[in-house]
Amino acid sequence: MMAAVADDVTVTELTPEFSFTDVSVRFGSFVAMGPATLEVRQREFLVIIGPSGCGKSTLLNLAAGTLQTRTGSVLHRGAPLRGINHDVGYITQKNYCLPWRTVEANVRLPLEFRRWPAAKIKLRAAAAIAQVGLTGFENAYPKQLSGGMLQRVLIARTLAYNPSTYLLDEPFGSLDAQLRMHMHRELMRLWQTTASTFVFVTHDLHEAITLADRVVVMSGRPGRIKLIVDIDIPRPRDVVDIQSDPRFGAYFKTLWTALSDD
Amino acid sequence: MTAIGKRAGRSAMLADPAPTGWQVLNRFTLGSDTAIQITILAVTLAIWQISASRLGMEFWISSPAGIWRAFGKWAANGVMLGDIRTTIIEAGIGFVLGSSIGGLVGFVLGWVRRLGDIFEPFVIAFYTLPKVALAPLFVLWFGIGMGNKIMFATLLVFFMVFFTTFQGTRQVDRDLVSNARLLGASRWQIWTKIALPHASVWLFAGIRIGLPYALIGAIVGEFIAAENGVGFRIREATSFYDTSAVFAGLIVLMGISMVCLAALKIIETRALRWQNVRDLTPAG
Ligand SMILES: Nc1ncnc2c1ncn2[C@@H]1O[C@H](COP(=O)(O)OP(=O)(O)OP(=O)(O)O)[C@@H](O)[C@H]1O
Ligand SMILES: [Mg+2]
Repeated sequence: MMAAVADDVTVTELTPEFSFTDVSVRFGSFVAMGPATLEVRQREFLVIIGPSGCGKSTLLNLAAGTLQTRTGSVLHRGAPLRGINHDVGYITQKNYCLPWRTVEANVRLPLEFRRWPAAKIKLRAAAAIAQVGLTGFENAYPKQLSGGMLQRVLIARTLAYNPSTYLLDEPFGSLDAQLRMHMHRELMRLWQTTASTFVFVTHDLHEAITLADRVVVMSGRPGRIKLIVDIDIPRPRDVVDIQSDPRFGAYFKTLWTALSDD
Repeated sequence: MTAIGKRAGRSAMLADPAPTGWQVLNRFTLGSDTAIQITILAVTLAIWQISASRLGMEFWISSPAGIWRAFGKWAANGVMLGDIRTTIIEAGIGFVLGSSIGGLVGFVLGWVRRLGDIFEPFVIAFYTLPKVALAPLFVLWFGIGMGNKIMFATLLVFFMVFFTTFQGTRQVDRDLVSNARLLGASRWQIWTKIALPHASVWLFAGIRIGLPYALIGAIVGEFIAAENGVGFRIREATSFYDTSAVFAGLIVLMGISMVCLAALKIIETRALRWQNVRDLTPAG
């Protein structure tokens, strides 16, 4: 499949979704991240781990285009990234559901912004809500939902507009262990049904190994790319069984060691 | 009839044990808040009436019976309705003008950081000024007709609505905006779909605070110089030492503002429905 985009860049399946080359970010004289070089492959599930404050969120902000002061280059599908990147969906730990809108109206939001026709919005929103298992809660307000349900609203809102990349910044950090595993199962299913790339930031090594094709370990501040580990555990994976896989233990040890000798 | 029928039907369905006579009495009479409130009112009126007539304080505090007579006199004259109408028109126009201008300006200055920062010192300077002190000046500018009271009510309402909306809107979470931009919102959509709904809570709070000031503005204006209106009547009665008529005027004012507040409450609960929703207690 070939598609041409602006700047005469030819995009093939091998073109990275994102390429960061020697990227550093400073806030004043303080170096927050980098220099870092990293390629995010199309359709992969990439997990980023690293000590607190090393620049993981900063890296996602660069990909989303909400942070633009940097040195080095950031390419999105081969083209330099300028301004806000509307091809990404950004899901954070902080919940950005609008409290005055119902679940359905929150999911509709990005489609309203894109001025889709009303009938199409309605269908798409209903489908997205069904996909995250919230059918029946369309008319509930965010205040009435649990943490897990709110995260699902955000996921539905993102998948409604079908972005080519999902950026997930510790999205399940506030959920209990059981709900978290349930969300892992759903997220992997979502990743398999969409043709999108997932970049997922976490502190939890179990979460990282369960979900990832590749795990990127960042060093302490200013974060650089310290290690990239391919997780060769076949899919579909079971969120419970995977933990007793002997390879799981080995990966855990590798990642743990890489993280702790900072 | 029907209500009683329904209640009986429901309790039969739920198989409530029949309440004892004492429980019924307790629930519907002695225990109910309304019953207590009516009792408080009745006792107050009785004490008032007794201290006025037995202790000879009627000149100072009037009495419920005297106020009733004053009402009769005021209404019989045919003046009362005219006075009420004048005051309501003054306060009403002042309220609408003041809250729409105040809400708009407060919203814009609160939302646009830069403008807010520039105007903040002026805002604070005005905030400390006791606005009532401007009333005489308004007579000079707008004469002694209704225009003067309308402008004065507008001014007072404007400030209350403006300050509340301004302060509230400034506290808006900026991340919400950058998140909306990421979701594809245009500048205009950020105003209409994020900023305005977000500020509407404070807008309503401001309007609720501002509402009584519409009446205050009209009354103060009438105290200073007027030809009719409830405030004018109160002042006139005071100069004749007619305490009963003064109290009659006060009760009318109380009635007007309670009706307005109730109307506002209805609008507000409709507009801010999301704030008062109940828990779903979802299954699973
Ligand atoms: N807007 C900002 N201004 C100044 N410093 C910032 C800003 N945003 C982030 N930083 C700093 O940059 C560094 C990297 O921040 P970032 O949020 O990317 O870390 P993180 O890896 O996501 O951390 P955590 O795991 O705690 O979320 C931190 O030291 C942070 O204090
Ligand atoms: Mg972070």
